[in-house]
Amino acid sequence: MSSAAKKDMPAVAPRTSAATAAARDPDSDESLLIAIGNHQDRTAFNALFTRFSNKIYAMGMKLTRNDQLSHDLVQEAMLTVWQKAPLYDLDRGTAQSWIFTLTRNRCFDILRKMKRQPATVSADDIWPQEGDGDSQLVHEEVGTMEVEVTKIESFYGDLPAAQRAVIEQIYIHDRTHEEAAAVLDIPLGTLKSRLRLGVGKLRQMVGAEQ
Amino acid sequence: MITEAKYHPTAEQLGGFARGTVTAGMNVVISAHVELCKECRGRTISLEAEAAAEMLQSVPETRPQSKDFSGIIDSIVKQPQLQTDEQASDPVTEIHMLEHSVSLPKVLAKVASEGLVWKKLAGGINQASVTLDDQTQCEFLYMKPGSQVPVHKHQGSEVTLVLDGSFSDESGHYKQSDFVVRTASDMHQPASEEGCLCFAVLDSPLTFTKGLARLLNPFIRYRFRRATAAASH
Ligand SMILES: [Zn+2]
Repeated sequence: MSSAAKKDMPAVAPRTSAATAAARDPDSDESLLIAIGNHQDRTAFNALFTRFSNKIYAMGMKLTRNDQLSHDLVQEAMLTVWQKAPLYDLDRGTAQSWIFTLTRNRCFDILRKMKRQPATVSADDIWPQEGDGDSQLVHEEVGTMEVEVTKIESFYGDLPAAQRAVIEQIYIHDRTHEEAAAVLDIPLGTLKSRLRLGVGKLRQMVGAEQ
Repeated sequence: MITEAKYHPTAEQLGGFARGTVTAGMNVVISAHVELCKECRGRTISLEAEAAAEMLQSVPETRPQSKDFSGIIDSIVKQPQLQTDEQASDPVTEIHMLEHSVSLPKVLAKVASEGLVWKKLAGGINQASVTLDDQTQCEFLYMKPGSQVPVHKHQGSEVTLVLDGSFSDESGHYKQSDFVVRTASDMHQPASEEGCLCFAVLDSPLTFTKGLARLLNPFIRYRFRRATAAASH
């Protein structure tokens, strides 16, 4: 798909399907990013750099109004793109959205350093990467969800009974944490830690399978 | 998580969060709400896609081509790539606070992990301030059961995220994960029957408008100045 056609896509389109469609074109941003992630493809990185460096510089000027910082931003954002490319997949949306979030995060950190603001929180604390958070597992767009659900179902039986019971209450019966704790007659804190453990394990198993 | 919030950030606030154009304090409180709110997580993803299209659109060349990025590429591709997301490990979010163990959204657990100093204020309120930037005053607030904040109005806006328990004011009853926005023109008197832990972000100091509480005003401005002064060092 040409980049001109991509622009016409509604921004709210399910992100997986938009990215998947784009990835069929070997010259799309998504295909380049996947090539960089899969085999450190330097030609692809060169091409992606050419496409995005000026855009990132312009975004830097909008946010910082400073030439040097915007130049630094291009360097840091594209370095992050290179480093994290193996973590990109189509579930994370279009390459443009993914690169935007990395750039936004680097920009936040650069500005804080420049203004000497307390380093209590970094961009990665504020905008956690997808893959964190229970939500990703179950609230994903329909396309990926079907795949994940069948996989999850096959792993689900391997969980310890206590964790399985908690996940069943929350994700199958759609109960709130408080309701689930009451049904299972366990303290809320126990419920939350079992939920975290169980979801973490499921996520690991699903991840290991891919 | 499945907690259903009734009160959410405004479209403008969530848009600023997605674009990265709001203060660190505001980013933190919105991030914490988004972690707790499925609806706002979905909206954030759409808003990020919109922001990406807007911020990374092709721009006519506004500067000389001479800006030389060629050296950058060579140095970047020498760097190793990441094969796993270190971020994916679950950080500790259960923290001990005021004799209770509470589970916090990740970003607030990070903020609190630096260590909180609690102060007792009038009316059964405990407060622990944190400095996140030089434009906002951020604090954890714990209202004991039966406590009441003196009537006040704001010079700027105040955002309060309920983390545990609940509180009420003239306009409503707010529970866990609710994101309560008050602007300069609002006057309110929050009270909590069952007790409440909140995280609040003020973009300028409170002014008390009634009775003896007014005596607190210079003190509050002083505290705000101190908090913002600390940020610039
Ligand atoms: Zn919300």
